[in-house]
Amino acid sequence: MRLMAPEIVLILTALLILIVDFVFLRANKKYLLWLALTGLTGATCFLFLDWGLVSTTLGGRFATDTISSWFKFVFLLATFLTLSFSSNSFESQKKPLTHRGEFLFVMLLTLVVMMFLISSRDLVSLYVSLELATIPLFGLTAWERTEKSSEAGFKYLAIGALGSGFLLYGMGLLYGITGQTDLNLLSSGLAFGGMMPGGVVSEGIAGNPATWFALGLVMAGLGFKLTLFPFHMWAPDAYDGAPTVVTAYLSVASKATGLALAFLFLFQIFSVQLASMNTIIAIFATATMTLGNFAAIKQTNLKRLMAYSSISQAGYLFMGFLGRDQMSVQAMVYYMLVYVVTNLALFSILTLHIQESGNEEVKGLSGFSRTNPLYAFALMLALFGLAGIPPLSGFVGKFFLFSVAAKHGLYWLVFVAAINSTVSLYYYLRLVRQMYIEDPTPSSKALAKQPLMVFGLTVATAASILIGLVPQVYESIGLAAQSWVGLLGR
Amino acid sequence: MGLLSLLIFLPLITAVFVVAAPKQNQVRWIALIGTGLHLALTALTTFKYLTEALAGTSSSDLLTKLFLVEKFDWFSSLGIQYLLGVDGISMAMVILTSIIIFTGVLASWNVENRVKEFFALLLVLVTGVFGVFLSFDLFLFFMFYEVAVLPMYLLIGVWGTGPKEYSAMKLTLMLMIGSAFILVGILALYYTAGAGTGHYSFELNQLAQFKFPQVIQTWVFPIIFIGFGILGALYPFHTWSPDGHASAPTAVSMLHAGVLMKLGGYGALRVAVYLLPEGAKEWGLFFMALTTINILYGAFGAIKQKDLKFFTAYSSVSHCGVVLFGVATLNLMGFKGAILQMFSHGIMTGLFFALIGMVYGRTHTRQIPEMGGLAKVMPWLSVCFYIAGLASLGLPGFSGFIAEAHVFMGGFFGNPWSAALPGRIMTILAAMSIVVTAVYVLRGLGKVFLGPLQDTHHAHLTDATFTEKLTTGILISTMAVVGIYPQWLIELIGTSIYPILNRLH
Repeated sequence: MRLMAPEIVLILTALLILIVDFVFLRANKKYLLWLALTGLTGATCFLFLDWGLVSTTLGGRFATDTISSWFKFVFLLATFLTLSFSSNSFESQKKPLTHRGEFLFVMLLTLVVMMFLISSRDLVSLYVSLELATIPLFGLTAWERTEKSSEAGFKYLAIGALGSGFLLYGMGLLYGITGQTDLNLLSSGLAFGGMMPGGVVSEGIAGNPATWFALGLVMAGLGFKLTLFPFHMWAPDAYDGAPTVVTAYLSVASKATGLALAFLFLFQIFSVQLASMNTIIAIFATATMTLGNFAAIKQTNLKRLMAYSSISQAGYLFMGFLGRDQMSVQAMVYYMLVYVVTNLALFSILTLHIQESGNEEVKGLSGFSRTNPLYAFALMLALFGLAGIPPLSGFVGKFFLFSVAAKHGLYWLVFVAAINSTVSLYYYLRLVRQMYIEDPTPSSKALAKQPLMVFGLTVATAASILIGLVPQVYESIGLAAQSWVGLLGR
Repeated sequence: MGLLSLLIFLPLITAVFVVAAPKQNQVRWIALIGTGLHLALTALTTFKYLTEALAGTSSSDLLTKLFLVEKFDWFSSLGIQYLLGVDGISMAMVILTSIIIFTGVLASWNVENRVKEFFALLLVLVTGVFGVFLSFDLFLFFMFYEVAVLPMYLLIGVWGTGPKEYSAMKLTLMLMIGSAFILVGILALYYTAGAGTGHYSFELNQLAQFKFPQVIQTWVFPIIFIGFGILGALYPFHTWSPDGHASAPTAVSMLHAGVLMKLGGYGALRVAVYLLPEGAKEWGLFFMALTTINILYGAFGAIKQKDLKFFTAYSSVSHCGVVLFGVATLNLMGFKGAILQMFSHGIMTGLFFALIGMVYGRTHTRQIPEMGGLAKVMPWLSVCFYIAGLASLGLPGFSGFIAEAHVFMGGFFGNPWSAALPGRIMTILAAMSIVVTAVYVLRGLGKVFLGPLQDTHHAHLTDATFTEKLTTGILISTMAVVGIYPQWLIELIGTSIYPILNRLH
């Protein structure tokens, strides 16, 4: 049970929140948030206690290792930062969100299942965790109960179900081919042939068309989660319709879950096949980042713009799968961390701005630097971080991802990705232009400085600068990746 | 913190003080004191560099050595280091930058709109520039390179004039595409050398130990050269430059044309030619041809311009072409000339843009046909303008003459590995630009300053104030010092060229 301590703490916190919310109906709900944050902190403490412990429980179905610790940390951090600015949406004077207790409950449960997901070592528990991590997100997307929000939730549900269907079909095939549900046995089965349930030894599975078909289906399923082209279409609508807090959470948590899933499938199960997939991965990455960036140019709505921006970021991230060594694992986990803090720094300001002004247009930011100089500066830093401008960590992270492509001789991909960064700079600079060059409109005013939100923003911004300058974070992810890749080869 | 780190980060520290300043009117003084201190620090560094360099015993020892090195591991698993050093070339560039930023602060004394942000961004930009000149690890180099480029967007976009947003965006995006080229090139070199030696490192001198295979030489050289060339206004990638310069506020134009464009020439020499000598030999004549077009195109372009800033911007394209031409000649004379030209053009164009800002601040027009006879009302500024103009057309006694003479001699000498004739023809063509320069400079200045007064409102304008006299005085005396006694600069950079040159032979 020790291994699951962080998860258990979170489940208990979630239940406690639900009970407290139910029992003290009339009370001030502010403390629910503090309860949730305490739970998150407790879970993080337990995570640090057994940081990087390589062990399994539940008959090998639940495993912790060095990389899973990092993923859990990223999930916890993302949830913590999101919650730190969620109170703005609940306590706002204009159209506040409702049902805070349930919201926190659902958020925490999503988090728990995401943490279970990265620890799953069995197809069944993996799929169940994935579904449990996705379904609450549909609900969160429709939280506002307006027509737009519900429509977004439904679109997300329909397309998400399609993605899960692909994935499930692929998993079914995998089970059919190898007769295994354990990820390690599956992997060796795919590589060297395996023992069928009837005692028949199957041969040459690695090159079997069914294996490739399963791989294709799994890739499609991953594509939905990671918003890879051509499976990205749900993202702009869902991001646009969801309450801004949820958009923030979707953009980081859903992506991190997708990455965790891709780690399990591509590095653990299809590790042999992955070696011959570099062209496909390069094409996916190219198409995704190019589409994301060029589509973002045309957007006038902030949330849709950020949706396409996050699609393009997924494209960069996917370049990491070009190798299956320490360097690519390290680069991807590092970039995930960078992306989470940078994007949440950005969204904490956008959430407040959109909530208070009710204006989701890019033009709504005009003169932001005059009315809110500090927020504008932090927002600019976050935008530059996403564009990969030094000395922010976004630059370092991208540099390491691009090095993975360069290491495998794909210089054209490095070039395409670098040009893409330039394109992305164009639309990020459009926001900077609105904030710094345009004059404020009469209706724009200074936004409140809520302590918790300012704290979250400070943490995220400081992290997005420091982890690019201080090498220790990158090096310790490197050590984690090294040991993890060592386990894979076993 | 070592001397070189301090040299890089002093502007950044000053920027922090600028932002923290309680009152708006203190900002200028803080910036001035910061850059003044920087000037003193540069002088100290030059002194230390010279004593160390001259104390170096045998001349062969001198050739590969960097001085005042600061080195520690940064991202050690990738072999990335924080490696600063200084040699003659970077020393000259640091001196140039330090002078330009000091005078740039003086020249923007009357900026009124958002003073804090303006000076802070200016200082951040210069931090990047110093970083580029002093880093000898390619990762660090590239990082500072981008830091130097990006603040330009806001500096032009917020404080510029005319179609400023368009110009700012065009400039930023084109320069970023340039850095995309550079990034690909750097990564290609890193992995090729790493795979070849088994030791992965971004250290410039470490990479230079490796002899890159022919295919890398052939293909990576033009990529890196063009990448830096975009910043150096290489034809046909120069189009950002006239728009950017015309829209930028005075100090930004000064910094941009004076220093930032030099990063292009510096990078082309330091990275492209140094690391890929065989590629340089293959492509030398091609880039000489491109830069010949540069020189002539810029000069002819300047004739047609009606706006003083466009006029100077095109002339900058022409003169920066001379820098890249010098780099592309691939011999000692050419390299020396290129660096001299970087220095001399930096000072000269800084003076030009500062003067344009001063005239514009009075007449509120930059259109040449709308002005005339200004020499009667502002004699000091007119004389300075004429000095800048004459220096720009290569009058002996000013720095431009020494530089262009070196470059064109280098071009005429040619190289043992290529036919002499094409190089000589191109040199003759390029040298003809001096005549064209004389045409546009004398015609343009004549229209503005001589003849009868065009606009009666101009009759009441004042001449230079004390700060303006100080600004122009510093720049002109630097130009004259280099022009009359260039030997100190030539000796300063002289020995540092040999490591690059030796790779070619």
